[in-house]
Amino acid sequence: MDLTVVGINHKTAPVEIREKFSFHPKQVVGVNRLLKETALLSENLILSTCNRVELYAVCARHKDYITNIENFLSRYHNLNISDYKDRFYVYKNKEAVEHLFKVACGLDSMVIGEMEILNQMKKAFQDARESTTTGKILNRLFEKAFNTAKRVRTETFISRGAVSVSSVAVRLAEKILGGLRDKKVLIIGAGKVGEKLVLNLKKEGIGTMLVTNRTLEKAKDLASRFSAEIVPFEDFKSSLARVDIIITSTGSPQYVIGKDEISSLMPLRQLRPLFIIDLAVPRDVQSEVNKLDNVYLYNIDDLQKTVDETIALRSNELDSCFKVIDRSSEHFHHWLLKEGLRVDKEEARGEKQAVGVGLPKEQVSACAGKIS
Amino acid sequence: MQPYNYLSGFQGLYLNLHIITITLSYFVFFIASLCAVLYLIQDNLLKHKQIGVIFNRLPDLFSLDKFHYRAIGLGFPILTLSILSGFIWVKHIRGAYWNINPRMVYSLSLWLVYALILHVRLSAKLRGRKVAQLSLFAFCIIIAALFSSCR
Repeated sequence: MDLTVVGINHKTAPVEIREKFSFHPKQVVGVNRLLKETALLSENLILSTCNRVELYAVCARHKDYITNIENFLSRYHNLNISDYKDRFYVYKNKEAVEHLFKVACGLDSMVIGEMEILNQMKKAFQDARESTTTGKILNRLFEKAFNTAKRVRTETFISRGAVSVSSVAVRLAEKILGGLRDKKVLIIGAGKVGEKLVLNLKKEGIGTMLVTNRTLEKAKDLASRFSAEIVPFEDFKSSLARVDIIITSTGSPQYVIGKDEISSLMPLRQLRPLFIIDLAVPRDVQSEVNKLDNVYLYNIDDLQKTVDETIALRSNELDSCFKVIDRSSEHFHHWLLKEGLRVDKEEARGEKQAVGVGLPKEQVSACAGKIS
Repeated sequence: MQPYNYLSGFQGLYLNLHIITITLSYFVFFIASLCAVLYLIQDNLLKHKQIGVIFNRLPDLFSLDKFHYRAIGLGFPILTLSILSGFIWVKHIRGAYWNINPRMVYSLSLWLVYALILHVRLSAKLRGRKVAQLSLFAFCIIIAALFSSCR
């Protein structure tokens, strides 16, 4: 009995190739059934995400099932698999278990420690169960993978911190202000990075958004997209007292906000913490602003440095993650070997019974002796 | 001459009340000081852009500030009750409310510092880092009071 994974991912193939082999989420249930029948598999599961297409299979009898899987992929996607053979990887038994655990823990993701894959795996497992193509082996394997991912996430720092400028800014805002639900943000200027950040803030449920820009049309465009309130550029300084986050990304060659302005503003806002994100180059906010109590100023370099540090921190955690994965995969592999032996014995017993039908007693006992 | 029984009747009641409330208030102020320390660490990390493991593990500034303020708000009336019961007890055994000894001086200073903290926090004259620093100063007075004489 073999446990195998046949797959293609972001490390072995670019998106142009990966997209040719991907499966539509709504078709996965049907495709799972079709694969089981076509490739004569005992159990199978398809994991198709934007970064990978992987087919997990358990086969008890046929030795050429990998060719069957490849042929299935060729026929289903109407492609010649031999053209892409070097893009595919095949892992068997222990290697397959280790690979799945690494994927589940986000160690095989484009961004190390990214946990979105775990939800995608849960969905793939749910689909496979719906299509009744999983059995004792895959059910146990995936449950173990989810447990291992949970352990890795809680016992190590692999998924801690944020790994993009906008998510770092959102995380900082939460750490300074507690939550974003009842908070107000003022967006000065309409840069691309700023837009992404605003989108993230919106997703996290920021209370109110105010937008200002030198060009009123741009402010109107941004305001309509994020259902924000427009503040005339000439008057934006009067709005500073009522906001908790300021995001600036203007093209101004001089400072737009100075230390004295913020200093005189703080008593008006009862010294409530103020988070300023300066995404502009040249900078819009005087750096001395950060020296004021309850004011936290981050520019684009500070945010990028935080991203780099988080990635480095995650990389340092790899050894600890591999230790957890090794223990879990070793444990599962032992169980898999025992299960394989049990299945083989059962098959041998089945053959014994089949041989026994219609044969004289002496011949049956002779055959049974040979088999056992 | 019979020795004076400090624990009989009203004296005993006030002494017990004093001991219970002072212990309780010190415990609450200890929690407040813990919040203040964590606040100062987190604030320092944020100011110096050191977004690492400790930053991720520590609670957000808003919650730390809120718990710090609430703990002081809870501890202050208990401390007031403790000081009042202490005064009454001293009056019973020494004949005067005010008896200059280090512990009394520390207790009154402590009360004044916490009153100041509550005042500046409520009137929004100070917030965050400076309030946390004041709170740590007050906790130093508690430590000094614990090791001082009450005679």
